Amino acid sequence: MKPIRFSRDTLQFPQKDFDMVKEGVVSLGILTVLIVAAAAIWGAPFRPAVTNQQVALQNPIGIGQEVLGDLDGQGGIASYGPPYNNGWHGQAQSVQSFLGFSPQTWWGTPYQVNTAQADVLTPLQMLATASHDSALTAALHTYKTASYTQQQAWTSAMTNALGKATVRNGQVLLPPGHYGPVALMVNDEINLAKSGLLSGALDRETNGGVYRWNVQNDLLFLQGQVLPNIANNINMAGGQWGINHDEQAYPGPWWLTPYTFLYQIPPWSTGATGDQTAAYAMGLLFVLLILVPWIPGLNKLPKLLPVHRAIWRDWYRHLEKTNACGQCPLLASCTKEFRGHTSDQQQSTETVPSCYQPDATFAYNMNDGLRSPSMRPLRTSTD
Amino acid sequence: MNWTQSMRQRVSEKLTWDHLLPSEQPVYVSSLVYSFGVFTLSSLVICIASGIIMSAYGPTWYQDSAAGSLLRGVHFWSVQAFFFFMTMHLVGQFFMGSWREGRALTWVIGAVSFGISVIEAFTGYLSRGDFFSQWNQVQSKDAFNGAGIDGFLNILNNGQVYGLHIAVLPIILIGLVGWHLIAVRSKGVVPPYQARVLTKEGRHS
Ligand code: HEM
Repeated sequence: MKPIRFSRDTLQFPQKDFDMVKEGVVSLGILTVLIVAAAAIWGAPFRPAVTNQQVALQNPIGIGQEVLGDLDGQGGIASYGPPYNNGWHGQAQSVQSFLGFSPQTWWGTPYQVNTAQADVLTPLQMLATASHDSALTAALHTYKTASYTQQQAWTSAMTNALGKATVRNGQVLLPPGHYGPVALMVNDEINLAKSGLLSGALDRETNGGVYRWNVQNDLLFLQGQVLPNIANNINMAGGQWGINHDEQAYPGPWWLTPYTFLYQIPPWSTGATGDQTAAYAMGLLFVLLILVPWIPGLNKLPKLLPVHRAIWRDWYRHLEKTNACGQCPLLASCTKEFRGHTSDQQQSTETVPSCYQPDATFAYNMNDGLRSPSMRPLRTSTD
Repeated sequence: MNWTQSMRQRVSEKLTWDHLLPSEQPVYVSSLVYSFGVFTLSSLVICIASGIIMSAYGPTWYQDSAAGSLLRGVHFWSVQAFFFFMTMHLVGQFFMGSWREGRALTWVIGAVSFGISVIEAFTGYLSRGDFFSQWNQVQSKDAFNGAGIDGFLNILNNGQVYGLHIAVLPIILIGLVGWHLIAVRSKGVVPPYQARVLTKEGRHS
């Protein structure tokens, strides 16, 4: 037969007056005042979002580089792999696989991003149509009908050129070279970004043409260089404990510390599957937290540590003063940490543990709210 | 078996007013540590209240207007308070070994609430609509991807993230916290570990 656990009925311990509703209301009141005051004094952090337009105005070459990366497959998303695509011409760069285990690939490619099409060719086609721009239409046609080798020759020449380009009056000036239609395309997309319309073109793609809920392509466009550079300047990059801290002096999501800590140490800081293994390491730790009551050793740890003696010091002081436990008729089962068997339970219906019994010294020692023993007849577990 | 009858019986046995809302507590309930749970709950209430106001007016309001940013401040600091007190509460309950004597479920519900709160806070950061959101969106897509979640949860889809933050996750969290509180009340506050007892040989055991 399964042993029945003997547990102490908390209603049988000596009781004192306690006003839960008042405690709750007072706590809510005090915290409301403190929190509203903090909000009024310090406010909350906010650094306006970065737009393609701002970047194009301040750093047109940066936008040009994003455009080229998307067009020639050098960009991070172009060759990312699931869930965005199957890589660039079948070569996926960002698939994390740990011992052949790669949950990233399980969903296939639900978000379908072909960066050359989505970030460059489609927006430029929209621009050409909207502005009756026959030069741009012709450039797009030349690019699309050229061989892949020819396209790569133009884009790599252009990539080199952008490294040496200068900006005068907001215009990108390139050294002479064989860029085919790509120079015009990149320049026009920089101008589209400057006008502020590029974001709209990109958002349109991930929202079926309406609404602006899904900002995927807009954000992916900036994710290669631009956002990391800004984050780096304000110490928010991953290697700088990234997400863990917010703007300047504001507290951030410090509760993610154990997680961000993993990114500071090997193997997570160095390995190609760092994200995957960090996520599963945290998952494992979380399961351990949930299972604490059953983990041998860990579930006995608080009993060994003396912290509980400080938390319940008034109670222990009382028990020691009256030697209640020394005299207890249930001492034997008590030392079994209230996990006796059926026999113990039967015993308990006849014998009352002495720590259940309020006595005069207790009323005197503890606070005034304590009911005197005579006012509260002891219940036994039979009633 | 009549399900209705047995449900009624269980509820009326386990959840009497003496259990749910007692006007007395065992005398050993005498420490600030016991208040951390209540402080956690109060912060959560402020968090939810400010969140309801913010979502009623909408993102552009809380990003751009003065009243909106005050509310965003209240929401921000109540989250800080919530996590602070929840952590203190967790640590306190650990040192008290509060899962003892039939209270393991209470611990489990608490720990799961912690996990849900972390995701809830994260989706909140992504709904702020500023650079911090943008940056964490593009950063965490790799992390969520590595964990194999991004294929379901598109971190870059504000519609999905915002919906999770203001409806799906709060409903789950409120349900869990309600269950946690009922579990606590139905068992009563966990009694202290046994006192050290002077044995006949004069040793502490
Ligand atoms: C969502 C946030 C939480 C809220 C609002 C909350 C609220 C409360 C409240 C009001 C109590 C009773 C008073 C007290 O002892 O403080 C309590 C008890 C308890 N909490 Fe939580 N809690 C939360 C999270 C947690 C977490 C994360 C854990 C641990 C993993 C936890 C474990 C416990 C346990 C074991 C008890 C029972 C204490 C006893 O029986 O004496 N709670 N909680």
